[in-house]
This record gives sequence, structure tokens and C-alpha cells, in this order.
Amino acid sequence: MKIKKMLAMLLAVAMIVSLAACGGNGGTTASATSIAVCLASEPDTIDPAMNSAVDGATMLAHLFSGLAKWAQKDDGTLEIVPDAAKELVEGVENEDGTVTYTYTLRDGMKWSDGQDVTAGDFAYAWQRAGNVGTGGDYYSMFAVVDGYSEDDPDAKLNIKAIDDKTFEVTLANAVSYWNELLAFPVFFPVREDVVANDSWATDPSTYVCNGMYTLDSWDHNSLITLKKNANHPDADEVTMDTIEFYLSDDANNQLSNFKNGEWLLIDDVPTNEISVLKTEYPDEFFTVGQIGTYYVCWNINEDILPKDSDLTGAEAEAAKAEIRNAVSLLLDRNYIIDEISQGGELPASSFVAMGMTDADGSQFYENAGSSDEYVGYYDTSAEAIESNFKSAVETLKKYYDYDEAEGKFTNFPSMTYLYNTSEGHKAIGEYIQSALANVGITLNMENQEWATFLNTRKAGDYSIARNGWLADYNDPICFLDMWTTASGNNDVQYGKGDHADVKAYSLDLTDLGYDTKVENGTWAETYDVLISDIKSCTDTDVRYKLMHRAEDMLMATGCLTPIYYYTDKYMLSKSVKGFFSNPLGYKYFMYCTIEK
Amino acid sequence: MNSKTLLYVVKRVLLALFTVWVVITVTFFVMHAVPGGPFIGEKATTPAVQAAMEAKYGLDKPLLEQYGTYLKDIVTKFDFGPSLKQRGRMVIDIIADGMKTSMKLGLIAAGVATLIGVVLGAVAALRRNKVIDRVIMVITTAFVSMPSFIIGALLLALFSVQLRWLPANGSTGAGLVLPIITLALYPMAYITRLTRSSMLDVLGQDYIRTAKAKGVSGARIIFGHALKNSLIPVLTYLGPMLAYIVTGSLVVEQIFAVPGIGRQFVSSITNRDYPMIMGTTIILAALIVIMNLVTDILYKVVDPRITLE
Repeated sequence: MKIKKMLAMLLAVAMIVSLAACGGNGGTTASATSIAVCLASEPDTIDPAMNSAVDGATMLAHLFSGLAKWAQKDDGTLEIVPDAAKELVEGVENEDGTVTYTYTLRDGMKWSDGQDVTAGDFAYAWQRAGNVGTGGDYYSMFAVVDGYSEDDPDAKLNIKAIDDKTFEVTLANAVSYWNELLAFPVFFPVREDVVANDSWATDPSTYVCNGMYTLDSWDHNSLITLKKNANHPDADEVTMDTIEFYLSDDANNQLSNFKNGEWLLIDDVPTNEISVLKTEYPDEFFTVGQIGTYYVCWNINEDILPKDSDLTGAEAEAAKAEIRNAVSLLLDRNYIIDEISQGGELPASSFVAMGMTDADGSQFYENAGSSDEYVGYYDTSAEAIESNFKSAVETLKKYYDYDEAEGKFTNFPSMTYLYNTSEGHKAIGEYIQSALANVGITLNMENQEWATFLNTRKAGDYSIARNGWLADYNDPICFLDMWTTASGNNDVQYGKGDHADVKAYSLDLTDLGYDTKVENGTWAETYDVLISDIKSCTDTDVRYKLMHRAEDMLMATGCLTPIYYYTDKYMLSKSVKGFFSNPLGYKYFMYCTIEK
Repeated sequence: MNSKTLLYVVKRVLLALFTVWVVITVTFFVMHAVPGGPFIGEKATTPAVQAAMEAKYGLDKPLLEQYGTYLKDIVTKFDFGPSLKQRGRMVIDIIADGMKTSMKLGLIAAGVATLIGVVLGAVAALRRNKVIDRVIMVITTAFVSMPSFIIGALLLALFSVQLRWLPANGSTGAGLVLPIITLALYPMAYITRLTRSSMLDVLGQDYIRTAKAKGVSGARIIFGHALKNSLIPVLTYLGPMLAYIVTGSLVVEQIFAVPGIGRQFVSSITNRDYPMIMGTTIILAALIVIMNLVTDILYKVVDPRITLE
């Protein structure tokens, strides 16, 4: 008996101990003016000049007021409207072709410590963010500004504060997406005395911002709380007093918190739950377009011709391009989307993603390629699977031995598919493996941990690799300038290694008013020239035509095999009204209300 | 403490320092030998930015020089440097934050596990082959065999999603309950089994029989003699368990989104956040070395027959 009594006592003590440990705030109660959400784990930084992540950008869009911002119109569509600027002025073209914009700041814009926001703050912030020495990933977004240098830390942008209220910036040439850039976090203001402290952006006590919210608390790796800034000129429009950004990168954990009602928005869902969630939460599971493409890239220097092939130089390059494009046709993109990724993605038939607008406001991808029968560079419809397959096999027969009885190629060199550790990437890789095995092509799978993978792919130590690209702003150039010879994202190795000397490309821009006409040139003599022409082109129509040419060139090499256009998947409680997100994936909570 | 024991402790401390130094050296060079770096991402930065960042954090210097500077900063200033990933934060602050949570969680879990484990084990031993013994054994076998990610997921599904009694997020107060239970179940079950078998062993010893023959009361036999002596194997387990449980469990921290040190440790490696990798490795290694030392010394306290040398 004594033992039992003691046992009971001990158990009681143990329970009290564990309960005592659970003091604190004891969970969140979702009142109408507070919202708890989860986008991702701890952001690397919430310094506007240093951030390059979407979750960080969402927080920055609440914490800062740049010259412009994204806003939702009554009909639900989005527009760029002035924020810290009185209006988004038109640029004035100078004699040398540069364009000057002069902005007047709104009255009443204050920093969270009470000081006035001045034009000088913008000038300082831009010089800092647009300087290579600062170390931000997005400093190159200032490339459009006159005076920008890619590698000189002493270069100064052509911007100035004329007085406290007037800010002037001169662009090297007019760009159509300039207003959109103004709403991008790297263009937000910061104050010199604030950022002098290296760790200013890690602690609420030193975090001075000028937006609709202030940083109220940051419990690292756990929770970031924003409170409404009552001093902001637009404070009256803000309906949400408190935003709690919980920090978790575990999709299952996010889902549990959503299901039990703690978190009203989660930005990640477990891939294997998607089909269930779509049926169980039809009003709360969202897939929205995101400007990005999931694709497979080929190492252009990888020899995929049969061993006994005697093709060399430009001929070999043309053959390889044809082969790669044929292999691309063997893939059933609808199967990948419906059975593997299941996130409402759309099959991709071009590299520049859906969501990018063309010169006339239509979709860029709808005007890609030259076919009248389908959109893009090949037909992705379910009906075309069979004809695609047949034409691919016919093409490959020109180069490889084909065993008609088995329906397989017998001398296609085996290749390796490189991907980073993730169930989703693995499943897609395995599908591609089986699709190629179907015609006798051996594709081995190689899995690498994230940072190693990036290193290997960048160095070109692979034959085929998984890849993906999300746009930073709505201009196709961000999909195209990454493939110049010197670009850090040139994973295909265009113009590098053996490919540097391959004279297989032609470029004729005379019909668009340029002198450029190259026959059988190298990649550097053609593609690099085309991209620099695009960057200095001031005629919007011509510029977009040039960009279509660039994509044509890329797709002709067959080194980019688009799989699908990304979608952003998230869950949002139906009690939340007034929420919107932009095509870059930023989410806006300031105008939200919660209906019980 | 006699001089022999003192000498032993001094020797062990020196050995511990040596061990930590080996850990530092091996980690440092292996970590730099792994491909990839802290400043590469899906979107590559330009070589100019890469160079600027490497210069800022001294990564452009020869590896041996970096190693020398690192050792010097640690020994002279206890300075682990800044994190390369969580920009603007010092490694020591991140570790302190993580350890605070992991320690709180771990100590409570260890306390609960030990308390309940010893009691259940003793009860099972004293009621050997009775119903209660069988029940305890079945339950503990289950807990010992179930990995924590299953237990964690089950608890989460039941108490958080279905019943909605407790939050699924381990960063708030009440949210700590489920991770603590998940962490405690395995060691609790293990200690129960350990205590039971050790106690059965002790209960069969001659001196217990003698005590019974002399008419000593049951309670005195159990608490005065049997329990104390049967705790030695439990103590052996306690040191490593504490080190393991206090240094954070990646799985549990991941499932419940607990802001502990375990997650930091793993993500620092994925991110190639060199100073974070070094910092967490050193602190965790030091903790494990210290725990083992303390356990060895505790042996002597419990069992005077053991000599330390």
C-alpha cells in the first residue's frame, strides 16, 4: 500500500513539475485584430538591402514604406501605387538617353523612433543596397540606375536628395518595370545612423522602420510579432493590429497548427497531403500562379552522341541540340503534375514562366515559339503525348541504333540525373528515369545534399540536373540574362569549357533596326550580345521582340527542358477576409479582418 | 575527496580539454573540405559579392591561418564569431537562445523520466510476475521500441489536432508539454526496465536475505538497501541520457517547431554556416564530455567500493 501511495504522490509531483514549466502566454487567442501565420522558418535577415527571400520580403513589405507598393483594386486585381512618394512620376529623358525621375515624398512619413523620413534616407539606402561591397544578393537590381557598377565598391549611383522632400534618380535608360522595382524591398529606405550598428536588424530595440508596422518582438527561431504603427499616414486603412509570424519550416507542423486553428495561414503543406487537403479543405487550400519554372537543365558540354559518332564542332552541337529536344518530348508533363507534384501546376512549354507580361499586356509565354497549333515550343496537351513520342523516336533514330522489336535504343550513352535531397525532386527524377528507360536510355540517379548540389551544378559536374527559377520582378529579362557566359547562374555552362569555342549560333537583328548580324558565332558573340542589346533597348516593342529571340535561342539548344510553371500553395482560414498576395509570392495581412 | 580522487579529476579534465581540441580540429578541417559554401544559393551571387562576403568574414585567408585565428579567439576571448547565415547575430547568442529552450525541455523531461522510471521499475520488481509488473513491462517495451517521431506525431494528432487541448507549436508555454512527454517516454521506459532488473538482482543478494532474517521492515529493506544499490546501472545511463536529451533532439524539435539547439545544429551544416557548425559542435561535445565525467564521479558517491583512477 505504501508503495502505491508513494507512486501516486510522485506522479502528482511529476505532473506539477511539468505544468509549472508551462507558464508563459499559453497559446494565442485569435481576436479580431490579431492574426497568427507561418510562412517559413527564421528569416536569414530582415535588412531590406540584404534580404533575398520571399518570407523576408513579406515582412519587409509590412515594416517599410518604399516609394511605391503593391495594392489590391476593388476588382481583386493588383496595381503598383505610390507609398512614400506623393505620386509615381513619369521620367524625363535627357540628351544622353538617360532618364531622370524626380519624386516628392509625402508629408507625415516618420521613422518608428519619431524622426522624419527624408529624401536623404532614400539616397543613403539606395547607395548602400546598390553597392557590391554591401554583400546583398539583390544589389544587381540597381543595374538600371545610372552609375551602377557590378564589381566596383567605390561606384556611386546617380541619385541625389535635392532637399528633405525631393529625391532624384537617373536611369541608364527607361525600363518598363521601374515602378515595380520601387515596390521591391531592396529599394526601401533605411537610416544611416540605424544601420551603422551591424546587428540592427536582429533586435526590436534597434530596428527602426517607416512602414505600417513596427517590429514589436522577435523570439528567435520561434516568433516575430509586428504591431500596427499608429503614426503611419495610412494607419486608418490598416485593420489588423498585430501580426504574429510563427517560424517553422516543418510542413507537417504547420499543417497541425492550421488544423487546430492556431495559425490562420500557412505557406507550406506536406506534398503527400495535397490531394487530401484539396478535397477536405476546398475553401481553404489555395494554389495561385507564381512566376517561376521548374525545369531540367543539361550540361551543354556533356557528350551524349554515340561513341562511334564522327560529328564534331557545330555539326555535333546541332545534333546534340536536336537530341536533347527530342528527349524532352518523351516526357509526359501532365503525368508529373497530376500524379507527382499535385499542386495545380501547369505544364510548361517555354522557359520564361507564365505570369510574365508581354509588351502588349498579353502573356509572354502565350506568344513564345512559332507554332499556330499550340502555345510555346512544343505541345503539352494530353492528346499530343503519342505524336510527341513518335516524333522523338524518329529524331533519335537518326543518331542511335534502334532495336525495333524491343522498341529500345541500344547505344545511347548512360547519363546521370542530379537532384537535391527532397521527396518531390526524387519522384520527378524517377519518373524521368522510367520515361527514358522506356526507350532504352539509362539514367542513373544521384542525390546530393543542398549546398553540395548547388556547388556541383554550378561547376558543371553533371549530365542532367533538376533546376528551378522564380522571378524577382515582372520582366522576362530575369529568365534570360542568367544564361550569359559570365552569369553566376549559368548552370548549363553556355560559352564555358569546350562550348566557348563552338561556333554554332547565328543572330540576325537587322530587321529590328540593329547592325548585329552574326553567322556561325560562339555563344559569347551571339547570346551575350543579344542580352546586352536587350538591356540597353529603350523601345518596349523591340525590346520584347528581342527577348523572344533570346528565348528562341535558348530553347533551340535543348539544354533547358521545362517541366511545369510553379504555383504558390498555401492554406488560409476562411475566417480571414481582405487578404491578398502578389505574383512574387509576397503576402499582405494589413487589410485583413477575421470573421468569427 | 582524497588526493587520489583529486588527481583523477584533474587528469580527466585535462583529457576532456584534449578531446574538445581534437573535436575542434577535426570538425574545422572536415567542414571546410565539404563542397559548397555559406554564400551560395539557388540564385547565385556574382563573384564580386562572393569575394566581398568572404573578405568580410575572413574566409579568403589560408585555411591554417583561419584555424589559428579561430582557436585564439576561442581560448582568449571565448568568441565564436558571427553567424554567416543569420546575419548580424553572434553564434554565442544563437547557441545561448537554443540551449535555454533545449535545457529547459531536456531537464524537465529527464527529471520526469527518472522519477517515474525509478518508481515504476521498483514497483515492477517488487510485484514481479504480478499483473502490475506485466502491464508496466508491456507499456515500457512499447515505448522503448517506438521511435520519437512516431510518438510525437501520434501525440500531436491526438492532443493537438483532434482534441485541441494543447498547441502544436512548441514555442509557447503550453506547447512545451507534448515535446517534453515525447522526449521523456523513451528514457522513462528504459529506466523502468533498468531499475526493475537491477532491483531484482539486488533483492536476490545475501545481505537482503540477512536483513529479512533479522526482521528489518519491508520499507527499510527497499529504501535503505535495495533501491540505493540498484540505482548504479541507472546512474550509468543517466549521464549520457542527460547529455543527449539536454543537447536537443532534432526530431522532437522539428515535429513541434521548438526553437532549440538541435535544429540549429543540423541547419548550420546544411547552410555551411561555418562558425555556427563549430560553435554548436564544441558546446555539444563539451557537454557530453562533462556529463560523462560527472557520471564517473557520481559512481563513487553511490558505491564507495569503486575507486577512481
